[in-house]
Amino acid sequence: MSTSIDIRSVTKTYHRGGEALRVLDELELQMAGGTFYALMGPSGSGKTTLLNLIGGLDHADSGEVLVGDEDLTQLDGSALAQWRAENVGFIFQGFNLLPVLSARENVELPLLLAPLSKRQRREQAERALELVGLQDRMDHKPRELSGGQEQRVAIARAIASDPQIILADEPTGDLDRTTADSVLELLQRLNRELDKTILMVTHDPQAASYAGKVIHLDKGKLGRIDDNTAAARN
Amino acid sequence: MPWKLLFRNVLGHPMRSVLTIGSVAVAVFLVCILHAVTAGLRSTVSAASADRLLVQSAVSLFVDLPLSYQQKMAGVPGIEAICKWQWFGGRYEQDKGGFFQQFGIDTDTFRTSYPEISLIDGSYEEFVKNRTACLIGTELAEKYDWRVGQTVPITGTIYQRTDGKAWEFLVAGIYESSSPSIDQQTLWFHFDYLHESLEAGGASGPEGVGVYMLRMAKGTDPISVQRTVDAMFENGPQRVNTTTEAEFNRQFVSMLGDVPSLLQMVGGAVLFAIFFAVLNTMIMAGRERTRDLGIMKAIGFTDRTTALLLVGESVLVCSLGAAVGILGGLLLEKPFQAAMSSFIPAFAFDKNTLLLGAAIALGTGLISGLVPGWRAARLTTVQALREVG
Ligand SMILES: Nc1ncnc2c1ncn2[C@@H]1O[C@H](COP(=O)(O)OP(=O)(O)OP(=O)(O)O)[C@@H](O)[C@H]1O
Ligand SMILES: [Mg+2]
Repeated sequence: MSTSIDIRSVTKTYHRGGEALRVLDELELQMAGGTFYALMGPSGSGKTTLLNLIGGLDHADSGEVLVGDEDLTQLDGSALAQWRAENVGFIFQGFNLLPVLSARENVELPLLLAPLSKRQRREQAERALELVGLQDRMDHKPRELSGGQEQRVAIARAIASDPQIILADEPTGDLDRTTADSVLELLQRLNRELDKTILMVTHDPQAASYAGKVIHLDKGKLGRIDDNTAAARN
Repeated sequence: MPWKLLFRNVLGHPMRSVLTIGSVAVAVFLVCILHAVTAGLRSTVSAASADRLLVQSAVSLFVDLPLSYQQKMAGVPGIEAICKWQWFGGRYEQDKGGFFQQFGIDTDTFRTSYPEISLIDGSYEEFVKNRTACLIGTELAEKYDWRVGQTVPITGTIYQRTDGKAWEFLVAGIYESSSPSIDQQTLWFHFDYLHESLEAGGASGPEGVGVYMLRMAKGTDPISVQRTVDAMFENGPQRVNTTTEAEFNRQFVSMLGDVPSLLQMVGGAVLFAIFFAVLNTMIMAGRERTRDLGIMKAIGFTDRTTALLLVGESVLVCSLGAAVGILGGLLLEKPFQAAMSSFIPAFAFDKNTLLLGAAIALGTGLISGLVPGWRAARLTTVQALREVG
């Protein structure tokens, strides 16, 4: 069963030096489970803010953030932490990995929060690394990996505990075209083969073309939603 | 708790960790040494016998008293025995750097007045019988490999022999002291031998007595004896100051200047400096890990876990420092003891000293970890990722 996301009249305002900046303005947005979404929009339009709200990293000022059957606005800090551990995998633009841990140990990190034996953790982490094609780099430290490999380890970590939702904030922002394409193909595969709900922020139309649907955000309001399912499938 | 991450964080900066561990180790070592010194000095004072009084010149310990005083004091009620002590200040030429004290004493009253001294070799009778005999402490015997029956040459500095040679003392016994107020490396010889040599012109030097020890009968009020003796020589030729042995030891210790307080002050200042150095290091380490902590929180680790990660790191580093410091202290205890035994016979690490060192290290670790830990707990992922991302 895949998880849908329902944003109901969400407002988020930042205050800076007495000035109020309304980043999300009574936003309404429904996202179906098991779909790969790209989120686009000009810089400062509130993409990261929205992603953080859906990932339970930040609180909305008003409105409801429904992920699956959970209303995140009703959860407190430690409940949110636990919810994140069970339901979301994050991929950020860069420096996703803890530098002192090996690739395998980085991937095992979220599994420490699950009731697994040491062996189960190891096996699950290795399976995730195999899935992203890094079975021969498991014992490398992040600084011994290329940027693309690092992002693939980050993806392995995001899927290690088998969450239903993957949130990625410009995951290919630092990568060259070919490397970016392989990472995007990987995300696409996770969506198609494992039925993950993916929300990926990107500035790059070509990256967005890997997604099934492209959401456009502008000044805290929802713009159009493009459906490129037909194009992407072919 | 991701223990592996905690250890890796420590190992990830080997230089920084080693330096921090090193400074904590130095601090703990310092605490152990200083504590042992002050405790040792204190126990020297408190181990003093209650039934012994000491009479010295009211001017200074370095001014001798006339020989005739003994006769006069013998009449004071409550005094059971008197033993002269005269500082000889000689040197054993074979060991230029070594220092130990020699005293001329009265052989007839010495033994009964100092029950804490027992002979482990030789005999007191031989010592009494032989005019040039001496008693030596076990540490002296060990250090120079001196045995009973051997003659040891001591060069006089205050008392020079007219033939220009060294004084020769025959070792008649080796003693052991059960009290920290008497060390294990003193040489005692006949006061009379020195006195007679001076009288006969065999040697030159000041004649007199440095200190008279008065042993009181049981039940005697020391204050009244003190007053009587002090009053007796009120009008000279030398005014005296009579003190309990404890007070005398205290004065002797403070002759070194107020070493204990000075040491403690310096030690306290060093501890303070090291505390801030460790705190600063941990705050830096915490800042460096801002992004790591943000990522961990995004993954689902709680504020508490991320804070504990920093506290744990700090406590771990400081505990390692404490372990190294205590180990170093234990290894160096013996050499230190040997070096200081002539003026702090009771120098030793007790359990409390080690516990104190460990407690200071743990406290430092805890506080130094809590400061960045507190910040880590309040940091939100969003802030953490924006700060460096
Ligand atoms: N903690 C904060 N305090 C004040 N203002 C903030 C804070 N976080 C974000 N903002 C502001 O909110 C607005 C939206 O930020 P957000 O990061 O969501 O934009 P974005 O669409 O992700 O932009 P980009 O494409 O540049 O990443 C920006 O103008 C930003 O400056
Ligand atoms: Mg952004």
